Amino acid sequence: MLLLAACSKSEPPPVVAVAAAPTPPAKSGAAVAAAPGTERPAAPAAAPVQTPAPAPAPRLPEAAPAKTAASDAPKVDLAALLKQGEKIYADTCATCHMADGNGVPFMQPGIDKSAWISNPDPQYLLSLILRGAEVVGAAADAYDNKMAPQDALSDEQVAAVATYVRHRFAAEPIAKPVTPAEVAIARARPGLPK
Amino acid sequence: MTGPPLASPAFLATLAAIMPKPHLLLSATLLLVSAAFAALPKPDADNGGLILPIGFHALVVADHLKPLRNLAVADNGDLYIKTRQDGIYALRDADGDGRAEVVKEFGSGGGTGIALHNGWLYESTNDAVYRYKLTPGELVPTGEPERIVRDLPDEKQHNAKAFAFGADGQLYVEVGSPSNAFGGKRDRALGAKGEDPTEFLQTHGGYWRFDPDKPDQTQATGFHVSTGHRHSTSIALNPTNGRLFICIHGRDQLNTVAPQFYTALDNSQNPAEVMHLLRDGANFGWPYTYVDAQTKERKLNPEFGGDGKKVDDSGKFDAPLVVFPAHYSPMQLAFYTGTQFPEKFRGGAFLAFQGSWNRAPLPQAGYQVVYIPFDEKGMPKGSFETFADNFAGYTDLASPGDALHRPNGVAVGPDGSLYITDSSRGRVWRIIYTGEK
Repeated sequence: MLLLAACSKSEPPPVVAVAAAPTPPAKSGAAVAAAPGTERPAAPAAAPVQTPAPAPAPRLPEAAPAKTAASDAPKVDLAALLKQGEKIYADTCATCHMADGNGVPFMQPGIDKSAWISNPDPQYLLSLILRGAEVVGAAADAYDNKMAPQDALSDEQVAAVATYVRHRFAAEPIAKPVTPAEVAIARARPGLPK
Repeated sequence: MTGPPLASPAFLATLAAIMPKPHLLLSATLLLVSAAFAALPKPDADNGGLILPIGFHALVVADHLKPLRNLAVADNGDLYIKTRQDGIYALRDADGDGRAEVVKEFGSGGGTGIALHNGWLYESTNDAVYRYKLTPGELVPTGEPERIVRDLPDEKQHNAKAFAFGADGQLYVEVGSPSNAFGGKRDRALGAKGEDPTEFLQTHGGYWRFDPDKPDQTQATGFHVSTGHRHSTSIALNPTNGRLFICIHGRDQLNTVAPQFYTALDNSQNPAEVMHLLRDGANFGWPYTYVDAQTKERKLNPEFGGDGKKVDDSGKFDAPLVVFPAHYSPMQLAFYTGTQFPEKFRGGAFLAFQGSWNRAPLPQAGYQVVYIPFDEKGMPKGSFETFADNFAGYTDLASPGDALHRPNGVAVGPDGSLYITDSSRGRVWRIIYTGEK
């Protein structure tokens, strides 16, 4: 497996598209775009994006949330939520984005360290899950397959899988759970957040 | 059959009587045979990373080119390879060592199909077919390309335009379906629901026939040969019976779309990739049906009322001639017209499988070139066997991105060598038969 992992890092075909996500890519998000050894130019850097970048919300301290938030916020069993999200990821997402999040060259983008996932504001990721490739814009053209809206999933399911991918694939793991209420907001909104 | 059997003592006696010096003839034959073998290049010690049947060896003709699609081999051994993203490679082995010393690039546009026909090099981008006039002895064509077919649908998904020439000399071009199973807005996702494909299939999911010498034809002016396939990137003429054979990519994600009927394991093994005879008026059953890789039955897709069990009984769709494992992704198909390989490989076809991405939780599979035996009437016997393997470099492959190579193009050279191209890291192999272990 080590060999496999090492190998995937030098895979030449496009790993990009995330470059055009509507937020300043997280530190390591940009590194993904320029895979070492590729002769191809990276995907057209940041295609014109309609939505202005939101001010990055202050990131919660990684280690803290479970204990400090315990007093007021409703208790969330993060471990159980991640387990539920892992199952949904395996059943619904991994088929295209692969179990390791590296996608399929030319066909479906890798999502590991994607700027969409790494954004502290989950609303962009939720729009993408619920509406599919249409919210990505021109960057989606780098791949043959267009992501379908995954809006047949319930608010609870989307919250679980969003929590899971933010925890697993964000440039820096985001522990803060996504709530069904946040999913409902994204579902009611036609496109990306204003 | 009259007369003595060829190997009988009586026949040999007759031969001895009419040939005064049979030993001379024999030595001359042996000389010719050894000369033919001497002309073969020295294979690579590691066979270019491939695993081959005993007696076969491989060498790397070129490496680290751009991602490659189909290839065509000229009578002098020059290779023409279409690239996935931009233009064409022309490769020449000038000194006979089997390696391409001359690597030229020309043309523009990514695509898939390429073929030589009557002194022209035909090639397809994702929305058109072009041809270049070749000058004998010149590797790279000098003139501008002539557009033979234009304005073919190009909607990203399944936009490769494979083509071949029939025994009638006509040009047969594929147009894929930018879809998984015509499941509407949620195609490929949970809850995908089939929509009426009638109008869509007028311009997608079929083969069209064109005049190879007439510029700027369109689907409307061509002849609509067949319908009802999802995507086909394999088409080749069998010289034995003059018929065209095609392979079709089966649908993906049965379990994603209908988890109530299919587990991930079910999806990893279904549906089949299939081979069909291409004939006027054929309907291959997409998007309504798929072929079960285990039972070989034609079943209803879940987008169209299927439940994993319901068998299609409409009788409208052709039955497949060869059934391959799920998700292997059949690419270029080439009939073996040479004599370098042993008897068993003559008259059959080689098919490159690019390898799967949709077989989790099983390891991804099918990164190989297979041999498909055909009978003396030019029809497939229904079986296939792995011929060249280990393109991926690993057996326990989780994701196609981890594969070292993905075989895509396969074509037979003038001396009977088999050439294979790589859609991942741009390697080109030449397979030869020496008989040595």
